[in-house]
Amino acid sequence: MKTKILVANRGEIAIRLIRAIQELSYEAVAVYESPDKESRHIRIADEAVWLGNGPRCDYLDIDKIINAAKKSGATAIHPGYGFLAENADFARACEDEGIIFIGPSSEVVASLGNKVIARQIMADADIPMVPGTENLSPGDAGVKEALAFAATYKYPVMLKATSGGGGRGIRLIESDEQMKAEIPVARAEAKAAFNDESVYLEKVVIDPKHVEVQIMADKEGTTVHLGTRDCSIQRRNQKLIEIAPSMIGDKDLLDTICKTAVKAAKAANYFNAGTVEFLIDKDFNYYFMEINTRVQVEHTVTEMITGIDIVRTQIKLAMGKKLAFSQDDIKMRGHAIEMRINAEDPKADFMPEGGKTVSVYRSPGGYGVRLDGFVYQGFTIPEVYDSLLVKMTVHGFSWNETVDRLRRCLQNFVIAGPKTTIPFYLNIAKDPDFIEGDFDTSYLDKHPELFDYEDNANEASKLANLIAEIHHRGHNPYAA
Amino acid sequence: MERIVQGTSPAEVIRQLQNSDGYHITNTARDLSQSDFKNRILLHTDLLAADARERAGYFSLEITGGASVHVDILRKQVDPFLKLDILRKKMPTTMFQTLCRGVNLFGYRPYPQNVIRFTVKEFAKYVDVWRTFDFMNYIPNMQAVFEEVGKAGKVNEPCICFSTGPEHTDKYYLGKIQEILDVTGTDIILCIKNHGGLGTPKRIGELVDNIRQKYPDLPIHYHGHNTDGNDIGRIVAAVQNGATVVDAADASFTGFYGPAPILSVVQTLKDLGYNAATIDEEAVIETSEVIRDERQHYQAFESQIKGFQPTVQIHKLPGGAMGSSLEQAVKGGFLDKMPDILHKELPRVQKELGNYWSVTPGSQILWTTAVSNVQGGERYGNASGDLRNLLLGKYGPFPFYEPEDWIFEKVLGSDWKKVLEEEGGVEDISDMDIEKEKEILSDRIGEEPTDQQLVLYLQHPNDAVEFFKFEAKFGKVYVLPPSIFLHEGGFEAGETISFTDHTGKEHRVEVGPSIKDEDGETSVYLNVDHHQRVYTFEPELAEGAVAKPATISKEEIIDLAKAGDMRASFAGNICEISVEEGQTVSAGDKVAVMEAMKMQTPINVEIDGIVTAVSAKVGDALQPGDKILKVDIDE
Repeated sequence: MKTKILVANRGEIAIRLIRAIQELSYEAVAVYESPDKESRHIRIADEAVWLGNGPRCDYLDIDKIINAAKKSGATAIHPGYGFLAENADFARACEDEGIIFIGPSSEVVASLGNKVIARQIMADADIPMVPGTENLSPGDAGVKEALAFAATYKYPVMLKATSGGGGRGIRLIESDEQMKAEIPVARAEAKAAFNDESVYLEKVVIDPKHVEVQIMADKEGTTVHLGTRDCSIQRRNQKLIEIAPSMIGDKDLLDTICKTAVKAAKAANYFNAGTVEFLIDKDFNYYFMEINTRVQVEHTVTEMITGIDIVRTQIKLAMGKKLAFSQDDIKMRGHAIEMRINAEDPKADFMPEGGKTVSVYRSPGGYGVRLDGFVYQGFTIPEVYDSLLVKMTVHGFSWNETVDRLRRCLQNFVIAGPKTTIPFYLNIAKDPDFIEGDFDTSYLDKHPELFDYEDNANEASKLANLIAEIHHRGHNPYAA
Repeated sequence: MERIVQGTSPAEVIRQLQNSDGYHITNTARDLSQSDFKNRILLHTDLLAADARERAGYFSLEITGGASVHVDILRKQVDPFLKLDILRKKMPTTMFQTLCRGVNLFGYRPYPQNVIRFTVKEFAKYVDVWRTFDFMNYIPNMQAVFEEVGKAGKVNEPCICFSTGPEHTDKYYLGKIQEILDVTGTDIILCIKNHGGLGTPKRIGELVDNIRQKYPDLPIHYHGHNTDGNDIGRIVAAVQNGATVVDAADASFTGFYGPAPILSVVQTLKDLGYNAATIDEEAVIETSEVIRDERQHYQAFESQIKGFQPTVQIHKLPGGAMGSSLEQAVKGGFLDKMPDILHKELPRVQKELGNYWSVTPGSQILWTTAVSNVQGGERYGNASGDLRNLLLGKYGPFPFYEPEDWIFEKVLGSDWKKVLEEEGGVEDISDMDIEKEKEILSDRIGEEPTDQQLVLYLQHPNDAVEFFKFEAKFGKVYVLPPSIFLHEGGFEAGETISFTDHTGKEHRVEVGPSIKDEDGETSVYLNVDHHQRVYTFEPELAEGAVAKPATISKEEIIDLAKAGDMRASFAGNICEISVEEGQTVSAGDKVAVMEAMKMQTPINVEIDGIVTAVSAKVGDALQPGDKILKVDIDE
């Protein structure tokens, strides 16, 4: 019997994982909640297990997933990103059941998932970090600690949930009054969201670049990096566009950051694939932020420039294989840009467009284009999950070539039905600052004109819209 | 003689007309469109005709004004300014003429002075000859327009509105002309505005002759309608007696209520020894040929009732109102009562209301009063607000005599004398805060409006906003020919539709399938310039319901609600009417429930009072702004 691997996820990442599993001649077991019953990830998997009616509860139900693995005879589980991917309890449950968890050990997931413990590990390894506190003491003592920290490092500061992540549980504090008011609120929120009310503070780095390093480590402790990614273009702390490698001109600095990432991973006894995130300020000081113990959405850009299949490598490492390449074997070639094409209306504060049916889906193709998606023409986007439809990754030899390709692909990408981020991205692809590689986390705030586009831009399609309406109604209602 | 070209000063225009050795013709394209095609003739057709019309050597092309500015934005979806700008580029020589309703400008009610001046100033950038009238021949109502036209260096053409009857004597009209000249000075053209096509050739000849005798240097422009089929007779009499300019239109589009055909006028007068100065007959003929084929696409807008109406001499409806009146009769199902309305009631009402001139907005008052008198049982029992205003003297004093007391009493109530004393007289409308209106418009369209947009907004606030939104969504649709824009029925599958956009780029649209999903939403697939595009349409709300642009804004709906007039604030169905007429309600009470997208919304009244009218019933599909019910304050 073939080895089966269960994919504990949905959407585009489920398909990405299934592809790698099938390429390795294993069988892929999909799981799904009811709203996903028409999803493509079920169709391409070798078998699928229904978890429950959902939504968003069965994909998070450790027992149900473990049962699904047992029932189908899967001996390994890939968690993807989101859902249970960074849940140490889930990793431990797999370990307890003798199922291979494709990721680091539960212990590493737990310690790196706790931001304060993670900071302690990095501090011990002399990794540069944004000044911050340990977990604030409960009650008034914690508030006093917070005020003292703010007095030393000046406002603004970030109040963060210790167990938070993915941009959640973060708030900006700009005064003592706000600090006093927000700490109890943040605690309550963290308790509700992460079942852990601990919070801590960090000094705010103003308008930083967000640069991260992909690392891979085998069980023997051999650790390599696959270069940098710039994920500065974000909305509400959620990444929209990712670029590899970072556009920072100082190659020595990037090299230092990569080496620091490897050092950090080693300090944490890291195994499998992970991402070490850094902030880089205006003076090119870099600060460790966190280690993500999962495959990232944006792993595709690294794959494009290194030629290394990260998911395939993850599975092989989890199966006990050694890294098949050394640091010297890894060569970066060209540039890659990934854009998350979401069913969202950027003009309405990125309001999700779930519930709409994709009536036309025409994707670009050709040289240097990669698509990781799961929607198809006729597919109705479930309202209960995230709005990511497809990741478009383009690769080029030079930055200019890559941006040109990006623009071409966006122009040729037609999705009708829901509003998407495509026209907004097209404005970015035409923006001189973007073309110059000049962007940081304040990019969207500083470029409000990017939101100035027409959904159906050209004159011919507008006039055709009237023709369509005359055709549909059998007369021109605007001339009646 | 030489043509009078666009850009000539008013004094020079007048001098050239005075020294002309023949008569001139104004091509009344706008009035043709309004009288015989419900104002729908598209810019596309006028552009086809532009080259030949430019060569035809007219005194002017009447191409804007009247109701056309409103219909341009409401039904033709074209910017009235852009229309003039585009035509000007194609017709650099010909003067453009407008018809302006004095204080009512291009609308139906009086505007404040500053709005009048602002509007005239903007339109005067494109319009060379300003024909201005007042339906009561009340000269002060036209003064602001005269002044602004003068300031802009354009030609004033004040009107005396013409009608028939014992009061309508030459002496009366000569007095009115003197009143005009006292205000404008002598550098004007005088228009005899015969919007009904009333009187015989003999009557018009006498009037022109008498004016010429008293004012030998005053150029006279005769404007008539061919409703009775005899306007050529009146035109001929006018020219024989010294009129300098006459109105007519392109033959291939002439109908029953608009202007007479140009070529017939030219031929008839030529044989009588009168030369149509500067007219190129070949170009006149060519114009008709160029646009002849287009007429078939306007069929839906031609009068349902064919044939001349010599009885216009009895009912006196203006040509511009004939089509819409007949349409109303057909739609209202009272076509059989038309002989009664037109030949008995309308002349009676006319006489009772002072025998003033049946032209906008006075003609609408006469018409609706006559219809409601016949339909409603009790005469004057259901007076319109405009009739009330007429009796209150808001539009100006009655020219000859006042209606009898019983009419005042019917319309204004038993204490009508007190009402008249308190509310009567020409309204002094205070200036509008135009800057504030600009801000409001800016909010509504989401960008800084241009002055031209603001002018359109001040004329017709909601329709202008709807038009701006239409243009943002559908682009510049004036490029579409009537065969597309006024297309009846769907297109054929696989049919290819070609058009040239406003920048000159050619486009091809191929019609693909239409697919309806289970929710009733339809996706129309079109191949636009070889790109597949899909356009989705929500299901129609109810059988026969047409998605019409909302004619009332959210703000207005809220304001009306505060006055007890409850309107639908969104599109949906009435699923409950909780009160009955006569019921007492208090602010906050639920009076109805509306449902949309399967969601029910209670409608609560905002004032204390009594339910006086319930307009909607359960199951009705309402559009925003549609009436639900009315609550009046209990006094």
